[in-house]
Amino acid sequence: MEELRDASIHHTAQKLAVAIKAMKNYDEIFKKVQILACSPGVDKNDLRNTLEDAIKSTGLETEIRNIVFHLVRNTLITETKSQEKIGHGADPLAYLRRSAVQWDRRVRKSLNAMCAELSMPLHGQPRAVMDRDELISKWEELSNYTIDLSNYRPVYAPKDLLDVLLSLKGPQKPPEDTEFVQVPNWEFSHIELPVKNLFELRLLFAELFRKEGTTNNLDLPTQCKRILDTKQAPLCQHFLKKGRTPAPFRGELWSFVLSHGSYMNGQECDHWARLRNKVLTTDHIVDKLIFKDIQLTASNDDQYFVFEDVLYQIMLCFSRDTEIANQIQFEKYPVKGRNYEGPPSGVVPFHGICMFAAPFCYLYDSSINLYFTFRAFYIRYCHRLTTINTHPQGIVSLCLLFEKLLQTHEPLLWSHFRELQIQPIRVVFKWLMRAFSGHLPPDQLLILWDLILGYDSLEVLSLFAIIILSFRKDSLLQVTSLDNIEAILADLSSIKVLPLIQLALCRD
Amino acid sequence: MFKKYKLKKTPRRAGNAVPHERMRISFCTDLDKSVLVNNFEKRGWSQVSPDDDWNFYWASVQTCRNIFSVDSGYRMHDNQMINHFPNHYELSRKDLLVKNIKRYRKDLEREGNPLAERSEPTAAGAPRYVYLDFVPITFVLPADYNMFVEEYRKNPQSTWIMKPCGKSQGAGIFLINKLSKLKRWSREAKGPFHQQLSKESYVISKYIDNPLLIGGKKFDLRLYVLVTSFRPLKAYLFKQGFCRFCTVKYDTSVTELDNMYVHLTNVSVQKHGGEYNNLHGGKWSVQNLALYLEGTRGKEVTDRLFGSIAWLIVHSLRAVAPVMASDRHCFECYGYDIIIDNNLKPWLVEVNASPSLTSTTVTDRILKYKLIDNILSVVLPPDGVPDVRWNKIPSADALGNFDLLLDEELAAQEEQAQTAQPSTKGRGGGGNRWK
Repeated sequence: MEELRDASIHHTAQKLAVAIKAMKNYDEIFKKVQILACSPGVDKNDLRNTLEDAIKSTGLETEIRNIVFHLVRNTLITETKSQEKIGHGADPLAYLRRSAVQWDRRVRKSLNAMCAELSMPLHGQPRAVMDRDELISKWEELSNYTIDLSNYRPVYAPKDLLDVLLSLKGPQKPPEDTEFVQVPNWEFSHIELPVKNLFELRLLFAELFRKEGTTNNLDLPTQCKRILDTKQAPLCQHFLKKGRTPAPFRGELWSFVLSHGSYMNGQECDHWARLRNKVLTTDHIVDKLIFKDIQLTASNDDQYFVFEDVLYQIMLCFSRDTEIANQIQFEKYPVKGRNYEGPPSGVVPFHGICMFAAPFCYLYDSSINLYFTFRAFYIRYCHRLTTINTHPQGIVSLCLLFEKLLQTHEPLLWSHFRELQIQPIRVVFKWLMRAFSGHLPPDQLLILWDLILGYDSLEVLSLFAIIILSFRKDSLLQVTSLDNIEAILADLSSIKVLPLIQLALCRD
Repeated sequence: MFKKYKLKKTPRRAGNAVPHERMRISFCTDLDKSVLVNNFEKRGWSQVSPDDDWNFYWASVQTCRNIFSVDSGYRMHDNQMINHFPNHYELSRKDLLVKNIKRYRKDLEREGNPLAERSEPTAAGAPRYVYLDFVPITFVLPADYNMFVEEYRKNPQSTWIMKPCGKSQGAGIFLINKLSKLKRWSREAKGPFHQQLSKESYVISKYIDNPLLIGGKKFDLRLYVLVTSFRPLKAYLFKQGFCRFCTVKYDTSVTELDNMYVHLTNVSVQKHGGEYNNLHGGKWSVQNLALYLEGTRGKEVTDRLFGSIAWLIVHSLRAVAPVMASDRHCFECYGYDIIIDNNLKPWLVEVNASPSLTSTTVTDRILKYKLIDNILSVVLPPDGVPDVRWNKIPSADALGNFDLLLDEELAAQEEQAQTAQPSTKGRGGGGNRWK
């Protein structure tokens, strides 16, 4: 057993070493170590210990630790999992994977069709000089860059994805009884994805109830400052679990947890400049879709309209970033038929995509800082919310979790919805798919997202959707139409995230 | 529609002008605004005409002036209340506001009050007040023309903004960056076709050319301040103010000088711009501003900014308190317009005595409804019946979304209590931090 574990650690370490060597900033780190090795404190007779000390004292150790933290989170774990799955042979989720691939293809196909219809080349075309000059001069005020968008429409909206999810048919689903074709009892229960029950959620979010130890008399901002001084990503992540992040430190905490932390180096700036240049030199159909999306959503939102111009920059650069396509884990399943190309980032813009970036505007003044943190957030979380996937925290699992929690813990509401023949998921799906962005006021939304990052889990979204329904239960039970239900749930401005979650998890 | 809603009212003191056994509250309003009428009806009040016996009048400034004028001969009784002070213009007229603030500072200086401390004179201009420098340098034209020219010559690159004293909502405002332009304007105004213009006085103020920009856009703050008494001063600040954004990008280049949409944030001006958005109306909540500033600039500077705003409001009110007719029947809700510069220093631009109650968006409607509701609960005694003999000290619950800015009466009481019992700890003294 010991040996096995040792072997496995050794194996992981080897993998990590390979991964680090393949990283863009490996040369930089290696150079730093070389310089340290020449420093007077390092003794060549005791190289191992003295070099290690030097690495520690310069803070390079923390940097390497954070790199390992991100590598383990983002690639290694998922790699091993997917390998396991493939090894199993009979995959009960095969149909889901197939649907995922088919959905992705359908979205891209529809983008291609739009290109054909408007005679725009799919790969983009060199931007006309006049257009480029205008774009350059208006880069800081893109809301004044006017283009005709009347022929463009969002490729898909939450409702389209929901319709596909509701039509997912698994092998286990019993043949539909033609006599009772009303609303199926369960919409997602036939899907064999593991989801937590309330007890397990309570364990997951245990940190929300932990009383502060008496030894720790420091106030939150001071604690937070100390943690940021250590520059250690895992500590930052742990701090977010409390859900009491002081606003001034949130931006830095998030960037440690999600990406590079505060040591922004030349690489990020270069990368941003390259993306901007790609936007300026090529004219791509996604540009129009991005402008359209921001105009349809963030520009009309009284919480975010002031950041409209920042969002144009962010989303345009996002669309050109091929690193996104490389880092996103797409579902794999061999499906016959043609494959369609997508935009450079691999992400086809959908209705409301910019609302994932919008809350970050409250955290960062600089577009570059905003971009890299948002990008990491998108790759890790938003992608799972907006595509069909088998991830335990993907949108399918979240729907299932919502459904199970509602039936188990709000049976009255559940039967009320059933009597009205309204699928409860219809009411909350837009919240889940957008992670509540644009629905909760920013101060509360950022707390909810603190919890997503802190617990590295999207499950809080389903839980919180239930909590809101439960909180407004009395009103909901009195109305009988979908419109009225939606009216009751339309205004979430009085909702306070932390107390409601704590209340829901601690009661029996 | 009206519910039978009778309130019991027992006369508490002899000399009550109109003794009531049972009292039904009647209101009267010049403004047919739903946010007003809905609030009054929610309280079970009934509407009457101005000639009837009313308890609560939401009047236009003109009506109010008429009621208080000597000629009208109207005498209000103890159970009547009205929403303006008779000479509110001491605060709301741009020229008088500046005059009062200048006098206030001089008075304090004469007393040797440390608040009136001045900085060392610099090359750029005269010595500035350290703590009371919260209005841009302003002159009244034509009266102060020579003083203006003197100030202008110190810094000929500067831009100035001209505003007619008596108008509001951005009417008649223009920018000047050359003395010749002002001269031309004054010649034209004196011409035969503009007789009436020459009678009107203007204020000319140093234009805040380094405003704080958010998302590249300029904005100003609209805050609501409720005053229930000037002597002693009792003032409350409504938590839900908002930022009003320009729809057009801010640009100081000369070509843009005449594009008023860039410079003026008044909704009434912005509404005529091509890019006005009906869903948010260019309004962004003060809470969001605070969240953004805390997230991007830190907590200390944000707190300091909001502290300076409260400071500015209190001192502008103190400046007019001695000249205000502090009638006990009156209260007033002021719309404060404030610009924040990029050093996060707030500047008082003007004060409106009848802030708009028209709602431009849904959020706006909710906010204004709440504002009126909270005003009523602060100005009315606990039993809900207007009564001038009430001490105007509302309970904490009655404040709603209002924060107490200053209550000189409470502050004096607290001070007394503290001197009587020196052992009790000072509880931060919510009332007297402005002393």
